[in-house]
Amino acid sequence: MDIFEGAVKPKSGFTYEPGENEAEKASNSYLMSLIAVMCGLPLPIVNLVATGFFYLGNRDGTHFVRWHCTQALISQLSLLFMNSAGFWWTIHIIFYDTEISSPYIAYMMTVLLFNFADFVATIYSAVQTRKGKHVSWWFYGELTNVLCPR
Amino acid sequence: MKLLLKFTFLVVLFFGTWFVLLQFDWMTILKVQQIKKTTEEKLGDLFWDMFKAEQDVIRRSEIAGPIDSLVTHLCRKNGIERKKLKLHIVDNDVVNAFTLPDDHLVVFTGLIKEVETESEFVGVLGHEIAHAQNNHVMKKLMKEVGMSVLISMTNGSAGELARESLQSITSSAFDRELEREADLDAADYMMKADVDPEGLATFLYRMADDERDMPRAVFWLSSHPESRERAEAIIMYIKGKDFYKQPVLSDEAWKALKAEVEKEKE
Repeated sequence: MDIFEGAVKPKSGFTYEPGENEAEKASNSYLMSLIAVMCGLPLPIVNLVATGFFYLGNRDGTHFVRWHCTQALISQLSLLFMNSAGFWWTIHIIFYDTEISSPYIAYMMTVLLFNFADFVATIYSAVQTRKGKHVSWWFYGELTNVLCPR
Repeated sequence: MKLLLKFTFLVVLFFGTWFVLLQFDWMTILKVQQIKKTTEEKLGDLFWDMFKAEQDVIRRSEIAGPIDSLVTHLCRKNGIERKKLKLHIVDNDVVNAFTLPDDHLVVFTGLIKEVETESEFVGVLGHEIAHAQNNHVMKKLMKEVGMSVLISMTNGSAGELARESLQSITSSAFDRELEREADLDAADYMMKADVDPEGLATFLYRMADDERDMPRAVFWLSSHPESRERAEAIIMYIKGKDFYKQPVLSDEAWKALKAEVEKEKE
């Protein structure tokens, strides 16, 4: 997943330096997301619930905080779908008559790869936003601009 | 529009990655089947060693011979590889028979004493062979403890859990679907082997009737619940089907087997 970094991006509307408190809150949204990624592979709903709660708790925050909470939230949404499919496939293998197969292993490897990419991007974003820098992800950043106008 | 294109690209990237990874035979690369097979073999030996340490195993040809003939007949007529099945007869008055991993088939003398006809006995044998053929024991164990714990059992690092699992296999039921599958497969085996499939149903009916006032341990029944419904399902399944009803052993051989089993504890 590509990450576009820039202290100020005109189209996202961040024309000021975020304060210490804002940077901490924005960074926390990624940390929350990070925990969600780790728990979310075996239990996908954790992906959404954890980040969702953090988003709801900070919806009255500054634009910088809301923007990063939203980006963390929607990145979890796509993981939710792929992890859920893997979760139910695994449940069927454990509790029903479905056998382990090459397509299953290939799917779980794909899901792991995407989760890992999300994991790396999330750590990077948490560190950068903590420094007050703005990080906009490829696709997710633009989607966040639409969902979280100034 | 640009967003939609990027979203499409992400979706294509996900399925594309899966498609590329699909080109490899992961089952062979990761030796999944081989690991499963080795684990099953080790578990079978582990459980049987644990079990036989506390039981008297009968090897006398007067008892083992006729039972082996019945199992071999069922296997030959149904295209089942006889060599795969490891038949064990245990001197124990409990009415029980069960399957261990890696096709270990354990029959208690209590069961042989309890059955009234050869077809009843062949029915129970067929039911247990069906559990082995359909790999029900490993499926049950996988559900209850999971593959990683099973592998650790074979390394000797989960002794207590292995004992609990053995207890579960020898005295508790498979789920309803697996029992039903084993019943109907047993009926098929019997029909193909020209043995009356009603034998299994009769045994289940009789056990269900006797259950209320039977003080002794009838493990095979308690571990195979809803026997009346199962007997009815077998009767419905064979209804209208053509089959021969021929004894496998001669009448004398069957009576001799029963007599030898009765003598065993004397």
